[in-house]
Formats: sequence, structure tokens, C-alpha cells
Amino acid sequence: MALRWAVFGLAALLLNFPVIATAVTAFKAPGEVTRNPSLWIEEPTLANFAAVLTASDRLNIYHHLGNSLVAALIGAVLPLVVAFPLAWAMVRRGVGRGVLFPVVVNLRALPLIIFAIPLYMMYAAAGLLDTRLGLGLVLAVVNLPLAVLLLVNAVGDIPAELEEAARMDGARLPRLLLRVVLPLCRPAFVTAFVFGFITAWNEFLFGLILTTREAVPVTVGASFFFATAGGGVQWGMAAAVMVVAALPPLVLGLVMYRRITGSVMAGAVKG
Amino acid sequence: MAEIRLEGLSKAFGAHRVVRDVSLTVADGEFCVFVGPSGCGKSTLLRLIAGLETASAGRILIGGEDVTDREPYDRHLSMVFQSYALYPHMSVRDNIAFALRTARMPEREVARRVAEAARILRLEGLLERRPAQLSGGQRQRVAIGRAIVREPKAFLFDEPLSNLDAALRADTRVEIAALHRTLGATTIYVTHDQVEAMTLADRIVVLREGRMVQTGTPRDLYERPGDVFVAQFLGSPRMNLVPAAAEAEGVRLAGGARAFAAPWARGPLAQVGVRPEQCRIVAPDAGLVAGLVRASEYHGSALHVVVETAGGDRLSVLAPPDLSLREGEAVGVDFAPEAAHPFAADGTRLQGG
Amino acid sequence: MRSRAFENAVLASPLVLFLLAILGFPALLSLVYAVSETTFRTLTAPRFVGGANFAAVWADGAFWRAAWFSLRFGAITAVLQCALGLFLAVYLYPLIRRHGWMVAVLIVPMIVAPAMMGLMYRLVLHEFVGPVPHYLYLWFGWSPAFLSPANVFATVVAAETLQWTPFAFLLFLAAYGAIPQDLREAAMVDGTRPWRLFWRIELPLMMPTVFVALFVRFIDGFRVFDNIYTLVGAGPGGATTSLSIYIFETFLRRAEIGKAMAAAVLLFLASTLLFVAARALVLRGREGRG
Repeated sequence: MALRWAVFGLAALLLNFPVIATAVTAFKAPGEVTRNPSLWIEEPTLANFAAVLTASDRLNIYHHLGNSLVAALIGAVLPLVVAFPLAWAMVRRGVGRGVLFPVVVNLRALPLIIFAIPLYMMYAAAGLLDTRLGLGLVLAVVNLPLAVLLLVNAVGDIPAELEEAARMDGARLPRLLLRVVLPLCRPAFVTAFVFGFITAWNEFLFGLILTTREAVPVTVGASFFFATAGGGVQWGMAAAVMVVAALPPLVLGLVMYRRITGSVMAGAVKG
Repeated sequence: MAEIRLEGLSKAFGAHRVVRDVSLTVADGEFCVFVGPSGCGKSTLLRLIAGLETASAGRILIGGEDVTDREPYDRHLSMVFQSYALYPHMSVRDNIAFALRTARMPEREVARRVAEAARILRLEGLLERRPAQLSGGQRQRVAIGRAIVREPKAFLFDEPLSNLDAALRADTRVEIAALHRTLGATTIYVTHDQVEAMTLADRIVVLREGRMVQTGTPRDLYERPGDVFVAQFLGSPRMNLVPAAAEAEGVRLAGGARAFAAPWARGPLAQVGVRPEQCRIVAPDAGLVAGLVRASEYHGSALHVVVETAGGDRLSVLAPPDLSLREGEAVGVDFAPEAAHPFAADGTRLQGG
Repeated sequence: MRSRAFENAVLASPLVLFLLAILGFPALLSLVYAVSETTFRTLTAPRFVGGANFAAVWADGAFWRAAWFSLRFGAITAVLQCALGLFLAVYLYPLIRRHGWMVAVLIVPMIVAPAMMGLMYRLVLHEFVGPVPHYLYLWFGWSPAFLSPANVFATVVAAETLQWTPFAFLLFLAAYGAIPQDLREAAMVDGTRPWRLFWRIELPLMMPTVFVALFVRFIDGFRVFDNIYTLVGAGPGGATTSLSIYIFETFLRRAEIGKAMAAAVLLFLASTLLFVAARALVLRGREGRG
């Protein structure tokens, strides 16, 4: 057992090393960062966070966080809305089983760059370039396969007798879906939302290509902050930016870590 | 409440014909039991009436109205499912009230009816619980409560007791019978259990391979089964069947020592059925047939004796429990000629029997 | 029955319309642009050039180097992640069964944005401020140049592996936990020792998951962009140009829109082909194990 604990400790340290090191650096004073690269902080300070959280011309973190939040919410919720009725029709009536289901599920396997460029063209024409809505819509596509998979599984797990009971109780389709099927799929909705929100928040490529100023998400904003730092990167501040940017999905993911396990499984079962 | 009428009802899944040309009228207020072995089409027939399956041919009339093409929610029936099908995300109260709220009944009326149903089924203390927090018997009562609260045109039960243990099953059976007396509602009840069928039904419909084999009161079916299938399906231990032939002096069982007189002793007779409780163990040469004791099981109230004749036929006999028999002992089996059921070679009952 | 068909259409329409709008239309566009010459100035007036863009991509050595990079990167990282993930899942299972929180600690990397992870590696590998070179100097008096042309491939492979091993780990953890306990007990009563138990009973039972994990991780490695791009960009001398990065650079940096589109179409075809092949492999693996 002791050896197992040691292996766990080593794995935890190794896998999380960049995160730990970044978090440590974020608490170092600017002078200390270059002088002391170790994981030990001589004079812990919140100065970096204070600087990051004080919006400036160079980096308005709230603007980026807001963009990420709105786009990630659209990207996490919209797939659930469009996938739910279809998932039911698919399970109970076989709608779209032959073509739609494989097409949607296999979207997951395609390199996102394939969509990014034609989307750029379309967004340019539709006025969606550099908007939160535009970014959210494409993030919804990214999350669609998992939403469909999870909801199809969830509906399939509902005993048919339960729906028959509801029909005998006089429920027509809308009431059946909203009052019986929807509440029973709640765990799947939560799982898909958690994973979808994290995926959407963490997305980088679409933010890079489809936004320029107004709707830049925090992943892209943070990388700009690195790139544009004249006269060398201010490492302490850069680390603080990353901590702030990584915090929302981390908190959500750690509180709901069991959901992550569930979504990874669901995604893998259907390959 | 209403009468339910089936006219030439059939259902096929692909080439597989599950229900074949069933015509039947269940009278208003009648308790009708569909019984048969698994795969006989009884559940499908019930689901056709419920509207959960669409008929391939024939008509369904409820209260004189043709509902064949209507959705379940337009037929005004209630159904109790084998798995109970309680909504797991709703409290007992909401489960029972669901149908009423679906019908947009005023909330005061909903509350009154739920309270009434809860009183009848002794669910008052459980109304705020979730189904997962209930025992099997309690769930069963909630399922019934959900059905009665709507005051439907008829109740449908699909093997409602098969998920309960033996003791609870007997209790619930009595409760369902009492409930039917109180409500006087038209009821169709599906089961594979002949005891449920016998004890609950005003009328039993025996089904086999999608066809109606015989219909009548439990007493009719038990005392005058129309063929060997019905004869053996109802009653436990099941009816003995012994090859027999009509001779000049009467009926002789295969290997039988003597013949007995019967009005139906004529040509087509091929086998005679007799129920175990109507047989007696007698001295080897005193019975209608002789044989060796192959097993004797002590059941407390009776001794279940299996006798094998020289021809290899086995007969069950319910004997008094104080009788003592050794295995291999030679005995005779006797019964009154009136207790015998005559069947032709194709299994149908002979006229006059 | 007509009403049921109508119902089905209504139920399916939100998703279908959404997909058509966001993917169907752009897919058409990409086909148009792939056979046209366009710049950002002439976006609305593409000039038809036939297969010229495809020919240009086909003849571009950088494209083939990127393809080779992506294939190699996907395969190597998939194998490493699965090996490490399998080891961690099986070895730590007895502990994790009693301490569920351990899972949360180990899956942190996959909750961090890959782009952020790339930036974090820039920090930890930095020769002056990075803890990794610092400790290597401190303990061994030596540290490699992680981002030099010679080492950069190993570096990005390591970064990708460490970030996504948790994914494989989670899959294997679930698969290992799903093996019926009485199977292990039966084997142990029969005198099977732990090593043999793993190789002869547990691993064969987990093979379907192994195939799935390899497949999923390969797909993700093959299409890699974020973490490599934020860590080293196209890399020294284009050493870390994956197909995704190649297309991105062709599009935004060099503004060769038609060529980028043609490459994207080729990548789409290649991905589909790989997907179908890998899927067949996974399915065969599953069948083989019942």
C-alpha cells in the first residue's frame, strides 16, 4: 500500500506539474520570479492577481472571461436543446438511426480546423465574425456528439413501460417529453452540460480564427498576453492570468469529477 | 364504466401472428381474466385494448364507441403494469395526481381525489415519499391508486402480482378482489397464474397461440374444460390424463382392471381426464387401474401420491395426509365415474361428458 | 400514421436544421473555395481554378511533413498514454476504490485547456524562470534545450502524453472495475498469482477498452493544435507543424485560402479513412473478445 501511495503521489505531481508550477509562480513577486525558479515561494504576494484583476488597456480579463462564459454557456446548452427531442425520437422510433446518428457521433473524430476555415467565410458573410453568439454556435457543434450520445443512452435507459404508463395517464407527446422523459434524463443533462461547458471554455482554435477583438475568449486572450508582452514576458502576471483562466472549468470539473468520468465512458462506448 | 367489445381482433409482428381473430365482449362491471402460458398473446391483447399496440385487423369498441385508431390517451382506460411503472422522479402524491393534472382538473378536485384514493389503498402516510422509498407491496398499491383515481372506463392489469413474493401476492389478490367489489369497474386482468385467474375472475378467457380457446366462469372451466389444454392448465396438481377406450361393457382405462359405465362411452373416446383430488388410493385390485407408488410428497393438508401404471402412465392422487405408503408399493387408483372427463384423440371434450 | 411522421420531423428538425446551418453550408463553401483562387480581398469573388489547389497541396513537401508529423504524434502519444493510463488504473485501483477523491486529483490536467497547458509549459520549461531546468541543473548539473529542433518533438509528445493520460486512465479504471469480482476470486482460488491474473484474465477482458482508448487518443493526437501552437507554434524549422497547424498557417499567415481549403478537404478524407479503418479494428477487437 505504501508503494501504491508513492506511485500515486509521483503520478499526481508529474501530471499536474505545469499546473502546480504555474500556480506557484503566480504568487511570486516580479523580482523573485527570475531569481528563484524553484517551487518554493520566498515572499508570497497577491500582487500579480491584483494586477490581472485590475482591468487595463493591455488586458481586460473581465472582458475575456465574459466572452468565454457566454460562448461556453451557448456551447453547452444549445446541443442539449436540439439533441433532446431527436434523442427521444431516435430511441423510441428509430428516427435518424441509420444516417444522422453515425454522422453526428463521428463529428467528434474530425480535426476542428476543417470546419474553422469555411466557418470563417460564412461568418464573415453573416456578420457573426468576432461575436459571442458566433463563437457559441460553433462550440455547440463541438459538443453536439457527446450530447446526442449521452441523451440517447439516457432515454434508452428509461423503461418503456414508464412512458406507456404516462400515455395511459393521458399524456400527449409534449407533456410526456417535458414531465416524464426530461426529468428522468436529468443526470445525463448535467453530465453533458458539465463536460460541454469545460470543453467549450477550453476551446482555442475557433477563438483564434473566428474572433479578433470583441469576442476573444480567455484562452486566446491569455496567449495574446504572452505574445504581446514587449521586452520579455512578465511571468508572474502571465501565470496569474492562466490561473484565473483555468479556474472556472477546474472548479466545475473538480466539484463534478464523477460526471467527467461518466462522459468519458459514454464517449468511448460508441467509439 | 363501460362495456368492452373486441371484434375479430388480430395482431401480427411481421410474419409472426401474436393475436388471431379474437372476438369477445366484456360486460360493464365484469372482472375478466386473460390467462394462458407465456407467449400466448394475452399481454399483446391487453396492449391492443390499451392502445399501446395498433391492431392489424378487427375493431375495439369501448362503451359502444369505436376506438381502434385512437391513441391511448383518448381511450380513457387505466392500466397497472407489471413493473408498476411509477414515475421515479415524482412523489407518491404526484404519481397519483399526474393523470388528473394532465386532464387539467382543478387542483382542489385533484387533492380530494388523491386523498380518497390514498384512503382506499391505505397510502395516507406515504404520499410525500418517492417510489424508491417504498416496499414492493406499497408500490403496487400506488400503481393501483394511480389507476383508480381517474375513474376510467375500465381497468387493465398486466400481471400486476408477478413481482411480489408469495405471501404478499395472496394478500394483494384479496385486496384487488375487494376493490373490484367496491368500485364495480369493468376490469381486464392478464396473468399466467391459474390461481389468480380462478380466484379473481367473473369470467376467464383462456388463450393459446393467440387464439381464444375457451371462455366461461371459473367453475365452468374447471368442471367442464373444453379440451385437454384447458383441463390441464387450470388446477394444481394438474389433471391426470389416461388413455382409455370405449368397450361393450363401458370405459376401460389403459391397463385397467375393470370397465365403468358412462353415457359418453362410445367410439371417438381416446383419453379420460380426472383431477387428483377426485382420485382415491385403494387396494391393488379394487381400483379402476393398478400401479406402483413412485413418489409420495407430504404437503401437510394432503399427501401427493404419484402412481405409475403398468403401461407407464403416471397419475397424481391427493390422498389423506395420514395415509402411509412405501415407494414401489402396489396400489389401485379409483374414482367415481362422474368425476371423469372424456376427451377425443384431438384433445377436445366429448359431447355428453 | 401521417401525424406520427410529422411528429418525428418536428422532433428531428432542431438538430438537423442546426447542423445544416452551421456545417452543411460551410461544407459547400469549402468545396467551392477548394477549387478556386481567393485572397482575403476577393473573398466574395472566388476564381475557378479546378484542381490547381489540390495539386499545389499535393506537391507541397510541408504538407507531407505535417501529415507525417500528425501520424507519428498521434500514434506515439496514444501508445504512451494508454500504457501509462493502464498501469495507473490497475495499480492504483485498490486505493481508489476506497478513496474516490484520488481520481479528481489525477484528472486535473484534462480539465485545463490544452492551450493553457501549452503556455504553462512555456513557463515551466523556460531556461531562466522554469522550475524544470532549475531542478535538473540543481540535481544533475545539466538540462536539455527542450525546444531545440532535436528535442522539440519529444517535448511536445511528453506534454501531450502527460495531459491526456488521465483520459485513458479513466477508461481503464472503469473497465477494470467492471470485471466481475467473482472471476478474480475464482482464478485466485484456482491458484492464479497476481501477475498471471493480470495477463491471462484481466487484460484480455479489458482488451476492447484498450482498443477504444488507443483509437480515441490517436484521433485526438492526430488532430492536435492548441497545446503545440501555444508552446512552440510551428516549431523550429516547422518541426512541430501538425496538419491542423499547417492548414491554419496556410490560411491565416499565408492567406492561401484555396490551398488551405484543399488541404482541409484532403484532411477530411484522410480522417474519415483513418476513422473507418480504426473503427473496424476496434470492432474486430470487441468481437474477438466477445
